[in-house]
Amino acid sequence: MALLKRRHWIAGSLAALTGCSRDPRAEPSAVSIARAAHYDGQLFDLIRRLLIEQGLDVRGKRVVLKPNLVEFDPGTTINTHPLVVHAALEAFRSLGAAEVRIAEGPGHRRNTLELAEAAGYFKTIPNFEGLFTDLNLDDISPVRLAKPFARLESLYLPKTALGCDLLVSLPKMKTHHWVAATLSMKNLFGLVPGSVYGWPKNILHWAGIHQCIADLHTLFPRAFAIVDGITGMEGNGPIQGTPKFAGVIVAGRDPVAVDATCCRIMRIDPERVHYLQLAARRGGLSEAAARQTGEPIASVQVPFELIPQFRTLRLGPG
Amino acid sequence: MDPATRLLALQNPDGGWGYRGGNSWTEPTACALLALEDQPQAAGAAARARAWLQRLQRPDGGWAPHPAVEQSTWVTALVVLLGMDAARQGRAIQWLLERTGEDTTLLNRVRRLLLGIRSEYSQEPPAWPWFPGTAAWVPPTAMSVLALRKVHKQQPDSRLQQRIEQARQFLFTRMCQDGGWNHGSSRALGFQIGSYPETTGLALLALHGVEQARLARSLALAERYLQECRSQEGLSWLQLGLLAHGRRPAAPEGIPERNPLETALRMLAAKAAGGRNVFLE
Repeated sequence: MALLKRRHWIAGSLAALTGCSRDPRAEPSAVSIARAAHYDGQLFDLIRRLLIEQGLDVRGKRVVLKPNLVEFDPGTTINTHPLVVHAALEAFRSLGAAEVRIAEGPGHRRNTLELAEAAGYFKTIPNFEGLFTDLNLDDISPVRLAKPFARLESLYLPKTALGCDLLVSLPKMKTHHWVAATLSMKNLFGLVPGSVYGWPKNILHWAGIHQCIADLHTLFPRAFAIVDGITGMEGNGPIQGTPKFAGVIVAGRDPVAVDATCCRIMRIDPERVHYLQLAARRGGLSEAAARQTGEPIASVQVPFELIPQFRTLRLGPG
Repeated sequence: MDPATRLLALQNPDGGWGYRGGNSWTEPTACALLALEDQPQAAGAAARARAWLQRLQRPDGGWAPHPAVEQSTWVTALVVLLGMDAARQGRAIQWLLERTGEDTTLLNRVRRLLLGIRSEYSQEPPAWPWFPGTAAWVPPTAMSVLALRKVHKQQPDSRLQQRIEQARQFLFTRMCQDGGWNHGSSRALGFQIGSYPETTGLALLALHGVEQARLARSLALAERYLQECRSQEGLSWLQLGLLAHGRRPAAPEGIPERNPLETALRMLAAKAAGGRNVFLE
């Protein structure tokens, strides 16, 4: 892998650039769970309320929303629903963000805009093309990983993601055939540019998927997470699974805590998901390590079907 | 404004083209140069683009996708299609010949055998990755076939011929059940995965000269995709692929070009429809 000699960003410096003012390790991370039965206009109020509940101050900030756009199949639920993205866009604007952009670099398709059109983004989000940055084709900067989990010492990453004040990961709640669950941390694979690494971003697979998820989290530790768990995907996700209604939006400042909570909602044991083990810091992944607000986990839990190799990760009775 | 003028207007002062404005990248610059080199009004722009690309050749003989990237990648094949002086070309071809997907190296075959790891594609021939140290995929393999074929036609070489044949076998092993191609994962965990328009067109282009009976389903699918595809990039690769097999496809009108790469590819497809397919010369 390329060993950078110059012009690199240091991982530690990114933390100062990419988010909120609070150290997520200082106290139990707050994770908000809200019921949402439908994709409709009420999502704006719901997401705005969650942002306020999380104490997020985005006044004057440049915010980048990173949904999960992978493939389009009208028969299933692969991508973050465009109404969730639109609601988040308007919620951040209403709270005083100076600029809100939408950005994604799909892992399979080069024609990102064609994919976004098929997934309903153009129809749902006014001026979508003007607001959108294709992270696969964005300008890049090299970033060195100070203590990587994977064998990559550096990555080239898009300037849109590196330069924003707050990166918001907006994934779909899905099972994943290689890592058990794909949520706000795995969603950051879409930051890795296809123009450098190709389609799919196979370098992350060869370097270790779990380790690369943890490394990307290290680079963007304070990314805010809003998980579209209204209708997720179970079984052979992230593409060929089956739609699964869970009826929730989960949000928080600490992606590890948010993803661990989502795992519990899906009845997956987060303490046995390897990338969460790697990324967990003080406090670990126990339920007590996060301060849940809104709906209790037990009231929204719904078991997502797991492919055979992950059935041992099933969370036992509460 | 005609496509050549549009493309010229988007050239960066350094001589290259960006994907969407911004810094110059190797892929859009090489495609723009392929599209513009025979245009009399583009002579100066083409010379600047060629100089930009020549400066970017790395000591190992390959090209990086962007000046900030310190690694040669698949874009080397695209630059080889342009033709360089003998010394540059020779080093670039050597770089390509030394690359294979990591999954087909002897070390990894042995490792998989020892660890009992099953692969959907355990016996396939070597092909090319996007980025060194990773697996082989359809688009970089198809582009490498086109580059090596072009060189082999000028200077026949058994090493090139062998890699071309192996890579074409690879493309057949990665064909999707519907007859088309995606990035190269036609099966996963026993499930069939569908193809994409742009990769189907590119693979068909690389399979130029293969008997049409073997590609009947692929060609029919490409013709169907041509009517459905909503991206200029996809349409252009489909046209180039179909034209390579003697089809005369009529592409739908009104699909916008969203970036210099799409403008260049559209020009290359139009050029091929007029009888000059620069990928196959």
